[in-house]
Amino acid sequence: MDYPIWDLALGGGMLMALVAIPHVIVSHFAIGGGLLIVVTETLAVKRDDPELRELARRSSLVLILVSTVFGAISGVGIWVVAGLISPATISALIHTYVWGWAIEWVFFILEIVAALVYYTTWDKISKGAHLLVGWLYFIGAYLSLVIINGIITFMLTPGRWLETQAFWDGFFNPTYWPSLFLRTGIAILMATTFMVFPALKASAERRAGILRYLGWWMVGGVVLSYAGFRWWEAVLPATVRNLFSGAEPALTTLASTRSFTLWALTVALVFGLLILIAAPRLARAATAVVMALAAFAFFGGYERLREGTRKPFLIHSHMFSNGLLVSDIETINDEGVLARSGWAARGATDSLSMGRQVFRVQCSSCHTLDGYQSIRRALPTYDDMLAVVSDQSAGSGAFASECAACHADVSAADMREMLPTAAEMAEDPEMILDLNQGMIYMAVSQLYELGEAYGAAPRGEMINTAELHSSYMPPFVGTDEELEALVEYLAVLARGDDVEQASIGGGR
Amino acid sequence: MNPNLIPAVDPAGLPAPLWLFHVLLVFTFFLHLVFMNLTLGGTVLALVAHLKSGGRRDDFRGVLARRLMAINNYGISLTITTGVAPLLFIQAIYQQYFYTATILLAPLWLAMLALLIAGYYAAYLYKFRGAPSRGSGGGVWLSVAAVMFFLIAMIHVAVHLVHAQPEKWGNLADGAWSVFADPTYWPRLLHFILAGLGFAALVTAWWAVRRAAEGVDSEDNTAIARWAWRWALWTTVLQVVDGFLLLMVLPQPVLRGIMTGGVVTLAPLTLAILLGIGLLMMLARVTNPVEKPGLVAGTLGAMILTIAIMSITRHQVRALYLEPSTAQFSFEIVPQWGNFALFVVLLVAGLATVGYMLRRVLTSPASGADAA
Repeated sequence: MDYPIWDLALGGGMLMALVAIPHVIVSHFAIGGGLLIVVTETLAVKRDDPELRELARRSSLVLILVSTVFGAISGVGIWVVAGLISPATISALIHTYVWGWAIEWVFFILEIVAALVYYTTWDKISKGAHLLVGWLYFIGAYLSLVIINGIITFMLTPGRWLETQAFWDGFFNPTYWPSLFLRTGIAILMATTFMVFPALKASAERRAGILRYLGWWMVGGVVLSYAGFRWWEAVLPATVRNLFSGAEPALTTLASTRSFTLWALTVALVFGLLILIAAPRLARAATAVVMALAAFAFFGGYERLREGTRKPFLIHSHMFSNGLLVSDIETINDEGVLARSGWAARGATDSLSMGRQVFRVQCSSCHTLDGYQSIRRALPTYDDMLAVVSDQSAGSGAFASECAACHADVSAADMREMLPTAAEMAEDPEMILDLNQGMIYMAVSQLYELGEAYGAAPRGEMINTAELHSSYMPPFVGTDEELEALVEYLAVLARGDDVEQASIGGGR
Repeated sequence: MNPNLIPAVDPAGLPAPLWLFHVLLVFTFFLHLVFMNLTLGGTVLALVAHLKSGGRRDDFRGVLARRLMAINNYGISLTITTGVAPLLFIQAIYQQYFYTATILLAPLWLAMLALLIAGYYAAYLYKFRGAPSRGSGGGVWLSVAAVMFFLIAMIHVAVHLVHAQPEKWGNLADGAWSVFADPTYWPRLLHFILAGLGFAALVTAWWAVRRAAEGVDSEDNTAIARWAWRWALWTTVLQVVDGFLLLMVLPQPVLRGIMTGGVVTLAPLTLAILLGIGLLMMLARVTNPVEKPGLVAGTLGAMILTIAIMSITRHQVRALYLEPSTAQFSFEIVPQWGNFALFVVLLVAGLATVGYMLRRVLTSPASGADAA
């Protein structure tokens, strides 16, 4: 909350996804590829099999071009983007885990140097020395996963760290081991999907055998991934798991993501069994692409699920997605957001601009004005109201899409009874705009009360968000004046009026 | 309303005393500088050499361009790898300033990633498609790589100047481009570019002298060494001039801070200036480096030492820039000595493993059936 806000039409979350998703795919390939390539070379040496050796060699070119370049830069990119969109969070993580990251850097050095040497020394050094380099590469790459896995899982399940603030309590948190198991499977899965492409270049007589060899690796990767995923689900605290599983999941979109994730894994498995093992003669670049897309979809789905179940937190029960600390709620409610941050105060010259600044500080980490998770589309408008009163059909589609989320206890017919008629609305549109502003006020007030509920939650343990209203939203914090300013700003947005776009750091 | 634009320090505190992070930041930044100089200076130098050679494989400058870019395929990776550590440590102790600066220059800072990817792949494309040995010419790939790395240097200097001057953040928020009008911007950028060119030229000369001494392509290597040596000489001449210019245009409180900082600030600065002038004298004494391999190695060693000392001075200049701001804050120290010790042990073990691996590779050449 203390930092300037970068206004990004795309949305910070979307930008992070664009950088992070390709990175995790490539980085897991770098780990799994390290294992597969060196095992393949080891087998080639033992069996004196030049075709297998050629597979390892060709794959190592992919490894060097994709992982040491794109993987390394996009890894730095995650820090870069995190610093731009969530500086408080990355700062909190770094101040807690700086030695963890420093240790990962050591493994990163080993990984990168070994990768460069491995690729360069084909045909130039003894087989034994080359295999040694390959194994050292894999060890370096895997150990970097061992470290970063602790920090990633900490964010979702900080466990005893919430009570003790101790490094290792957070590192070896409840989902550490299942996640490591799962990511090991994913790494093998990613590696096989990449290595199928160089395998297609094997000689006609050996191609089937080599594809089968990769197929068994793939099945192994899928089995590990599935087992790891179910283990991960099983150890999640019920407060988190109930968001997306069980008879009545709290967040249906996340439940759909879970189904999608497991179906994608199934498709990858079926393709692996059919195309790579049962009928490798059918393998083509196109089938390899489909298989890779299914594997990526599984991985992307899991990452989406992991990120989604953390909502509304970036560090569960400690820091919200907008950088607000749970422990700061009371103080900021007393003093105000604008007293807390110079950047928020900057440009807040009247009530409307104050509302805009409050929105930027508290809401813009998830909501853009008109793009991804558009706030304007989430607000009630004159046209929405008109649609509800004009739609007389049973079940009322307009009611379901515009009102039901907040008024589940009211039927469409009852709602129409309460609202003015279309003719009355046309006569006095200002009345409807005032009504909308009142609804926005109620919604923001509920978010303020949500903050009080978070503030009252027992410290030192995971907060059960499923028990709270709007369990995926951070609370509103601030003074009454700031709350009213935010409502005014949102009401202006809901009218569709143009509101001056703020510059980085808070307007002029 | 809070008028202070400087964010608060992180409430989590620091997991070691501040001085330790200062040491680690300077040391790892020095490591990064060594490879960065090779990447930036080497790519620009390779471009010049390639253009001078007309893309001919039989011209010694074509050989030089190919050789430099062959090194750079590793150099770029190691620049990124060694850059990770200072990026980590700066976020630990200067996060209030660093994040704010990157947000104020967000589009540029983000663009750095795309520029880096483009520059890196362009360097590979030159190696595989464009180097004179491939017979197709490839000045375009090399130009792309050189321009990308130059732009990245521009971005880094801009971010550095913004993060060091919180008193200018208000104005910068209304127009971040004004950082390019900072009186120190261009001399500072030039200081990095010239250092890169000088260092890359010296490494090239040193390598060519070694090859010539081994009797490999004596004629080409002698010509490469002479050509690179002249580049090292003239860029160092300009570097000394630019260094004094940069010192003169520093804000008065910063310059005063250096001059009145006693031995702590004056010793590194004086040593760096003396080393710079010494380098100049060593470079000027030699016309044919192949004849004086000892002096060439000594000059390279002196330049590495100069980079190390200047890393300290650069850090002190930053501290002086930020002094009015940092004086307002104090970190809570929550030491994690066990984790730090683990890091040190693993760093030593990791570097020893890398050393063992490289030694094993260098002592295991093979041919025929035993070749991997």
